[in-house]
Amino acid sequence: MIPTQLPLGLRLPAASRFDNFVAGPNRETVTAIEQLTLDRTASVLFITGAAGSGKTHLLQAACRAVETGGEAAVYLPLTTFSTMNPGILEGLEHYALIALDDVQAIAGQVDWEEALFHLYNRLREAQGRLLAAAAAPPDQLNIELPDLRSRLGWGAVYALQLPDDAMRLQILALRAQACGLELPDETARYLLRRCPRDLPALIALLERLDHAALAAQRRLTVPFVKAVLES
Amino acid sequence: MDAPLWKKCLDRLETELPEQQFNTWIRPLHAVADDNCLRLLAPNRFVLDWVREHFYDQIHQAVQDYAPAPAPQIALEVGTRRAAPPPKAAEPETRFTRETERPATRRMAAPNPSLNIAHIFENFVEGKSNQLARAASMQVGENPGKAYNPLFIYGGVGLGKTHLMHAVGNLIIAGKPDARVVYLHSERFVADMVKALQHNAINEFKRYYRSVDALLIDDIQFFAGKERSQEEFFHTFNALLEGQQQVILTCDRYPKEVAGLEERLKSRFGWGLTVCIEPPELETRVAILMSKAAQAQVEVPNEVAFFIAKRIQSNIRELEGALRRVVASSRFTGRPITLEFAKEALRDLLALQDKLVSIENIQKTVADYYKIRIADLLSARRSRSIARPRQVAMALAKELTTHSLPEIGDSFGGRDHTTVLHACRKIAELRETEIRIKEDYYNLLRTLTT
Repeated sequence: MIPTQLPLGLRLPAASRFDNFVAGPNRETVTAIEQLTLDRTASVLFITGAAGSGKTHLLQAACRAVETGGEAAVYLPLTTFSTMNPGILEGLEHYALIALDDVQAIAGQVDWEEALFHLYNRLREAQGRLLAAAAAPPDQLNIELPDLRSRLGWGAVYALQLPDDAMRLQILALRAQACGLELPDETARYLLRRCPRDLPALIALLERLDHAALAAQRRLTVPFVKAVLES
Repeated sequence: MDAPLWKKCLDRLETELPEQQFNTWIRPLHAVADDNCLRLLAPNRFVLDWVREHFYDQIHQAVQDYAPAPAPQIALEVGTRRAAPPPKAAEPETRFTRETERPATRRMAAPNPSLNIAHIFENFVEGKSNQLARAASMQVGENPGKAYNPLFIYGGVGLGKTHLMHAVGNLIIAGKPDARVVYLHSERFVADMVKALQHNAINEFKRYYRSVDALLIDDIQFFAGKERSQEEFFHTFNALLEGQQQVILTCDRYPKEVAGLEERLKSRFGWGLTVCIEPPELETRVAILMSKAAQAQVEVPNEVAFFIAKRIQSNIRELEGALRRVVASSRFTGRPITLEFAKEALRDLLALQDKLVSIENIQKTVADYYKIRIADLLSARRSRSIARPRQVAMALAKELTTHSLPEIGDSFGGRDHTTVLHACRKIAELRETEIRIKEDYYNLLRTLTT
């Protein structure tokens, strides 16, 4: 019989929604994206921000919101896609919302830039909406096709601010709660003091701790976390 | 067999897969219920192959677990949710066969689907940069097939070529409501042709495109290197011209400069009238912003329009993007649009513009362009080969930066602000009289701002 303390690799992933996004100073940006999911007209919105500022979360949330509204959405991580054939963009104009992540990944790749430009035109004709995200604003992405660059900047461009420590604590608490994990305040603060504070790293760490806690059947006390981090 | 089955499968797959993968590959699939077959439609064969390779087993397992016995078959196919699923493996219909099959009465009753009714002459802001193109377009709209055929409009991105083209189409329809005006992007023409070839329907393709009263094709530079499409287009083009049907084309550059385009096409493009749209001047940019604001029913003070127009010179799309951002921020905060407010709302965007265009940057670009040294620009030398580029650089510095004239003078080897002023006037004058200077200025402006 399998011992029960072995953690299963199966859990409910934390679903990205607008209401579990810790907006802080980014409230206006979040509202603009929410509005985009509700407006049923052709439009484009571009968000920029450093890694860990929440771009991917917001893109997922937008897809979910559009699906909830009875329309179809698709999420396109261009980092993954950029090594594939740009033909993968064919037929996507039939989605009501296209969420393009990591636009910088295809900058300078002529075939990809052109394919994206054509997709943009078809999407606009079909009254679809585009939500694009990248590490920098359209002008700074080194996109060679000016036609694509100018179109990406046609809608409003919003810059996401990185979360501060207070927001990070809130985000960790929400994440922990979503996977049914009790994360004492004291432990969360300990993490912020001792570990890299960028969110992707913190969240990966939280997952690791969750795993360890489940296996050891321990609570996330500071001594336990310390032991895990040192191991 | 019903949709709720797929819904159940989705709920389960969502818990099994990382959210991003789920939203990329699984949720976008469109499920169609058939007799004991679950058809999952992917938008193209690349997505289809990926899903088959990476997720088929998981999908299969979920279906097995949730479907009442006997579990339906799973068929992964290429298709979209908008097109009604064909009953059998029928060929997907192509766009033009749909159009030609549509009864004429319906076509007349419905607004032209390919034209954007928002793009009309009334809201096209006229300025020096587009005067000629606008006038020619207007004449074509009033006299299709007779005034200028083809009408060839070229210019940089986001300067209003497409707007003008739609305006002509809308004007033609206003004059003759049953006129068949077809607007499409060149990529669409190519895609339609490829489909027609695949489905052995090239004759219908030809018939369709040759039967229109006006054919409007955007961005024909994308025909470059596509020989078969060029040939087909060449014949279509000739047939239309012969039948006195109007052809309007746009391109991002002068036709002769498009590499990969057949000579015979290039020469034919020049048979009618070729007109250029240039980047709008400051005053025109302001007028465009005010017009866009009025269309959006938003009050934008003059000084705000000037502020935005001064900072964003590259193209109208980005100008519009900036205006959208200010308006959205104003709606969000409930604050009126003032100069201070606009500055705040566009902080991120403008910080970036400032970074891009500095006086140093302008000096370097101008020196490179004229193949002289930056030191020459800053020197006291007054020979024409140095003085003219220096004046061009000063004029650009005034147009593109927010530095004061004394500051600009300082940056050019400690010159007086009246020298800068003189340079700006001189260049403005020369741009009117000397085509070389006009082109130099335009090229440099483009290099610096795009």
